[in-house]
Amino acid sequence: MKVSDRLEQRRPQWEELERLCDQLAHTAAPRLSASQALRLGALYRAACADLALAYAYHLPQSTIQYLHRLVGRAHNQLYRSQPLQPRRWAEQLLRHVPRQVFQDRCVQAVFCLFWGLFVLAAFLAYDKRAWPEFAEQVLGAEHIQRIEEMYREPLSEGRGGEENLGMAGFYLYHNTGIGLRCFAWGLLVLPGLLLLITNAITLGATFGYMARPEAIGGEHFFEFVMAHGPFELTAIVLSAGAGLRLGLAWIVPGELSRRASLVQAGQQTMPVMGAAVVLFALAALIEGFVSPSEAPYAVKAGVALGSSLLLAFYFVVLGQPADVQPPTAAPSPALRQELAA
Amino acid sequence: MPSQPLDTTLLVVTPENIAFEYQLAGPFRRLPALIIDLMVLGALQAALTLATALAIGWFSGGAAGFLILVMSFSLQWGYGILLETFFNGQTLGKYLTGLRVLSLDGRPIDGMQATIRNVLRVADLWLPLAGLLTMAATARFQRLGDLVAGTMVVVEDRQPLTGVATLEDPRVAQLAACLPPSFVVGRKFAQALADYVDRRRHFSPVRRREIARHVVEPLVERFGLPRDTSYDLLLCALYYRTFVGERAADDAADAPSTIPEERAAGRHAQAAVPVA
Repeated sequence: MKVSDRLEQRRPQWEELERLCDQLAHTAAPRLSASQALRLGALYRAACADLALAYAYHLPQSTIQYLHRLVGRAHNQLYRSQPLQPRRWAEQLLRHVPRQVFQDRCVQAVFCLFWGLFVLAAFLAYDKRAWPEFAEQVLGAEHIQRIEEMYREPLSEGRGGEENLGMAGFYLYHNTGIGLRCFAWGLLVLPGLLLLITNAITLGATFGYMARPEAIGGEHFFEFVMAHGPFELTAIVLSAGAGLRLGLAWIVPGELSRRASLVQAGQQTMPVMGAAVVLFALAALIEGFVSPSEAPYAVKAGVALGSSLLLAFYFVVLGQPADVQPPTAAPSPALRQELAA
Repeated sequence: MPSQPLDTTLLVVTPENIAFEYQLAGPFRRLPALIIDLMVLGALQAALTLATALAIGWFSGGAAGFLILVMSFSLQWGYGILLETFFNGQTLGKYLTGLRVLSLDGRPIDGMQATIRNVLRVADLWLPLAGLLTMAATARFQRLGDLVAGTMVVVEDRQPLTGVATLEDPRVAQLAACLPPSFVVGRKFAQALADYVDRRRHFSPVRRREIARHVVEPLVERFGLPRDTSYDLLLCALYYRTFVGERAADDAADAPSTIPEERAAGRHAQAAVPVA
């Protein structure tokens, strides 16, 4: 058979496949009729067969190139991305994340680092003997003044419901952004740790300074931060811990190759980061609506206690290692690919 | 299949047991897509902010602020995740520049991979060097997010189907008929011939002669053709005989091609059934 004849014979089918691919690529939610879908599969297999036999057919190089591209495009339309599955995510968040966090040395290390620095900074800012100028040096006189200004008045005379809503949006935007950045920068280890350390020292110094008897608005400050504190601080520790796990994955890969270790760590830590985002969102809502409200002190203390208990239940009770195999036992497709490579 | 060339192409083997090539996208192909995406994000954010402020801002500044901030947050962190998950690995910028994100094995990415690579973009842009460095150091131009998610970015362009070149010169067919039927054009040689004929119109006659000389001079002697045979014409004649004219009967090397061809034809016939 002549090569030119063969080309002419196949051309209509290739062009039809191309048209189908165009049709699929240019619509957001592709809908093909049953016959069209069957036809797409058949045309794709035919093009695959043509490509496989291209050398035996003596097809010109330009046509082979064309076939490579055509098969590639059709492949990408045939095999489509899996959307996020809410049920799988719920299972991840409720079953795998707490267990993983409970055992994760990175989260524990970050937990100790954060709270150690926090307590140290708070002590130094509170106590005037060891390092008298600590609070002023760390926070800056301006910042201290601004905080004192903010909490001078009792909270009940604070803002209205409308402003609360706006502030809740701001907390969500700002704090969750910091958390996600802490996680992503953790991959580079140093920037993530730096972000965590600065946050720990600044927060600690602020708490310590406001605890001084002569600080203006001290009791208002503690009344404000109490309710949302547990969720927010846990979330930042979680983000930084997950980030550190990512960073260590390529520094200390263990028995895996560095690439495979990174891929595995990514699959494991992303759900943890998802849990952190949920905590950030909860904290933002509490910070927006409960913390600045006129609700009595007891209510806010109750919220703080309740959220702490919830966290304890989530991480300690749900986090108990189960008898069944750990979630990492079955490597993901991406990891299998890496291991095979 | 020939061995893989030293190039930015990648061989992907599909479940249909066919290997096809992808062209990988390097940093300079991906930069325009990033810029487009950033501009789209900026425009979207400005438009949404303005619309919300105008629509709700009149009676509730707080609600407008809340909505604007929540939307900015979702846009900034969710744009790439949602688009790549639901549009099969493409954001708007990638769609316009013909790029697509794929798993390393050539399958489409899932929601988890899209999330990982988009959240980690911050790390890639921390110092713009971080992402560039890993792109330069990995064979598949992966930035940090790609490394962790196990993804790569490929070019999904289309090539025009040129088919077999048409040779108007009647002497080509005549000369082709004079060539000894026992001479079989090998696979490599056929490829070179096709490349030559595809491009010969860009060359001057002198240049054609210079290029063709190395191959044709021994052939002229072997075929016993006159010394003044045009080198270009002889290559065209060989091309004609290989791709356009009847294949020689003694083309025994390609005998298996008839069997798979029938099988393939059977597939085509099958394929035609559902439509008919």
